Amino acid sequence: MRRLLLAGYALLIVVPLVVIVGGSFKTTPDLFASPFGPPTRPTLDNYVTVLEKQDLLRVLGNSVLVVAVSVPVTLLLGSLVAFAVARLPRLPSRVLFGIFALGLAVPAQAVMIPQYVQFDRLGLRNSLTGLMLVDVVVTLPVAVFILAGFMRTLPAELFEAAEIDGAGPWAAYRRIAVPVSAPSLAATAIFLVVMHWNDLLHPLLFIDDPAKRTLPLALLDFQGEYLTEYPLLFTGVVVASLPMVLAYAFLQRHFVAGITAGAVKG
Amino acid sequence: MSRRALYLFAAPALALYGGFFLLPAVQGLRYATTDWDGYSPAFHDVGAANLTAVVSNDDLFRNALTNNLKFLLVVVLGQTALALLLAVLLAARGRGSTWLRALFFLPTVLSSVSVAFIWKFVYDPNFGLANAVLDAAGLDRFESSYLGDESTAILWVAVAQIWFHAGQMMIVYIAGINQIPEELYDAARTDGAGRWQQFRHVTWPMVAPATALVVAYTTLQSFKAFDLILGLAGNPPRSGLDVLATRIYSTFANSQLGYAAAESIVFMAAIAVVTFLQNRAARMAHG
Amino acid sequence: MTMSRRNLLGLAAGTGAASLLAACAGPGGESTKPGETGGEISFAHWRAEDKDVFEQIIKDSKLAVRQDISPSNDYQSTALQKLRGGTVGDAFTAFRGAQFLDIAKAGVWTDLTGKPLTQRYEPALITAGAQDGKQLGVPYQLVFNTPLANRDLVTETPKDWDGFLALLDTLKGKGVTPIAWPGGDAANAGQLLNVMVVNNAPTDDALGRIETGEAKVTDDWFLTVLKQYQQLTPYFQKGATGTGSDAALALFAQGKAGLLATGSFQVSGVRKLGAKFPIDLLAPITTTADKARYEGVFNATFILGVNAKSAKQDAALAWLDRLSDPVVAGVYANGTAQHVTVKGVEYTNADLKALAPWLSRKTALAPRFQFSNLDVRGAVENAAVQVVGGKSPEQAAEAAQRVVDQKR
Repeated sequence: MRRLLLAGYALLIVVPLVVIVGGSFKTTPDLFASPFGPPTRPTLDNYVTVLEKQDLLRVLGNSVLVVAVSVPVTLLLGSLVAFAVARLPRLPSRVLFGIFALGLAVPAQAVMIPQYVQFDRLGLRNSLTGLMLVDVVVTLPVAVFILAGFMRTLPAELFEAAEIDGAGPWAAYRRIAVPVSAPSLAATAIFLVVMHWNDLLHPLLFIDDPAKRTLPLALLDFQGEYLTEYPLLFTGVVVASLPMVLAYAFLQRHFVAGITAGAVKG
Repeated sequence: MSRRALYLFAAPALALYGGFFLLPAVQGLRYATTDWDGYSPAFHDVGAANLTAVVSNDDLFRNALTNNLKFLLVVVLGQTALALLLAVLLAARGRGSTWLRALFFLPTVLSSVSVAFIWKFVYDPNFGLANAVLDAAGLDRFESSYLGDESTAILWVAVAQIWFHAGQMMIVYIAGINQIPEELYDAARTDGAGRWQQFRHVTWPMVAPATALVVAYTTLQSFKAFDLILGLAGNPPRSGLDVLATRIYSTFANSQLGYAAAESIVFMAAIAVVTFLQNRAARMAHG
Repeated sequence: MTMSRRNLLGLAAGTGAASLLAACAGPGGESTKPGETGGEISFAHWRAEDKDVFEQIIKDSKLAVRQDISPSNDYQSTALQKLRGGTVGDAFTAFRGAQFLDIAKAGVWTDLTGKPLTQRYEPALITAGAQDGKQLGVPYQLVFNTPLANRDLVTETPKDWDGFLALLDTLKGKGVTPIAWPGGDAANAGQLLNVMVVNNAPTDDALGRIETGEAKVTDDWFLTVLKQYQQLTPYFQKGATGTGSDAALALFAQGKAGLLATGSFQVSGVRKLGAKFPIDLLAPITTTADKARYEGVFNATFILGVNAKSAKQDAALAWLDRLSDPVVAGVYANGTAQHVTVKGVEYTNADLKALAPWLSRKTALAPRFQFSNLDVRGAVENAAVQVVGGKSPEQAAEAAQRVVDQKR
């Protein structure tokens, strides 16, 4: 019974993925002629089209750039707040934490309209900088929540010892809080990478220029008007997912920890 | 340690978060009282007219709310049950377990647009996987138009959402189960408890904190299911697939920014109410 | 919180994951300098399937043009905000109706009145690009929003509704799907409404009058339309309301369906999938033969314009000039299997030649573009889809009328 259930669910995960990957090596007529069979005449044309004509390399570059900037920035800012939350006296600590916790209950879709107007007025729309900024701002509450949750559990003696040694707060943050919180930071980082990498809402609202699109938006654009080509769509899915799946394969343990940490409140 | 330095630490994050998240959230209240189209220089104050209309006289919004609640209910119940089942089956350590955990978690790292495209093909009535499987199994009377079926479309999206995130919640449950002391099971077995009774009397009460977490997280996630629906349903989604987030986006795209802002406010209120009710229910469940 | 307390991973682990991804990704961030595309103008449109032909025209013209393409429904909802920014669409296109008017209201068209290029078009076909006596844009494509017919399967041309239903029965008898209809794709599901409405409607602007409140979805004539959808239901492919436009197209191209209820803009797509059969247009005549006013539906759309917010208006105008040249327009028409509004174009494409008689037939201007509110349009079009999905015409009409009353 146990085996049957597990095997069944495993099939449910694997079969669609195999069909998608197989489909990316088919021509459109082939796919419609035999959607699930192996490709009769495997072709790499879809990959060539996706990478060259659709400019997916540039799009991939944009996604990497956004994540490479916004994730460390969110981590830095979030951990600084978390440190303050952990070290401040009870009342200001609670207020500070409360302000950020508020953001957890407000979904991005509820703030997007005024945010759109604001970014438009400030000329931050249609720029990767603006996209990074909005990603940082929207995910700061999650980062603060996870990191403060961890840093609060650190014993006060740890920091008091540093103070006796005459170290300032910056040194205490950098030499003690950051190294000790390393697992928590790593977990948060992975959680943020997945969130920023997969964000569709903000690129959809803020990015006009196709040269500045990120992966999820480019993927959405793949659905042409009068002719959606499934094989191209599948190829896009494969190319867009590959970096994350590879990273997952190598950093599996941290992914799980990260997403679970995010699940604490997301 | 000087307090001023600590405030300084929090300052950059507070400034960005306050300026680009809290401030717009408050400004939303202002737009909600206007008929601004989003681009014209002029607009009129309409007072509470937008809000009144959203709440009392808007079938499209009510339909989106209904769909969203249906979606929420199915995903919360279905995903939580499935995640718990998988966790119970996989909690024991072993080589096979590790592999399967990794596999079940895999969809979580895909983007929602990718997941949407995968399921779009699964649900294609003529060429898709779902009907083909039913066909092959001789169960063609269960074939459906899936996303094209007005009354059940949102449930099919819920299935895709569960496929997407059940693995993530499974991990939360596995963590919870692994913290249950083995002695409790030993004691139960000594009392002659079968597997179901062990689950009922040991596992289920002991994973209550994990359940609370999973339910709270899944609830928020279900309200945010914007990407998945846009990818599956196209833009704008038709009525059977419309949820609150997509409705707000469609209103905005229909050049009614003021009205969209009013919808956002009701959206937030809906989340607050659901969260409140869940907390009440949780408290009652735990006496 | 459960996490492995492995020490010394450090902040570096987080950034490390990102830079690892950067390393796999190839070119990284350097390729995104904004100035890189500075010399080109952007041509914004929604016809992904025309991309290659436009690319050829651009190459021959030696103009620096970059195509920025979004899917049509996204284009419908987001083009205005993008165009206003001025970074996309120095030259752009618009749908007839709501979008044309919104863009006019936002002041994004530049006035083309009196420009030499306007003289190259059939005057009667570019009125959709004019407002208050000004020629703001020029509709470029002449499409027929009339179902495609596989002439190997569909041999007769019924002149009335009963004849049409008889044809569908004949097709069913041959073991094929009589009508392939992408009911699950909002943009294309509504195309069929055009032909279903034109002969039933009391006036040519009847759909527009629904939005102004002068007519109702519950009026008899529209109920007739919905009841006819109900009659068509058994003749659509299985899962019709959940079928995407690609799947409907594939059914037709594979010869498994007699009709494809979209329009001439899909001819090239059908050919691309390898279809060899002769393609014709065939509209259901929804009345008796003597009451039928129209044989089909056309639309003058893809309205070309120059962006008033653009810094490169001269270059954008030069691109429009180029497209307006009859020879170039011929390259476009024959390459994409679509008729154009430019005068003196020679059609050499076999499908265009076959469909040429339709240029002089009695066709109505596509009525679905009379709506200017997308929620209203969605509600009316969705009523038809719901009827096919099993809802009663009366109920569907009532629900749609409620939305219209709330939203107009």
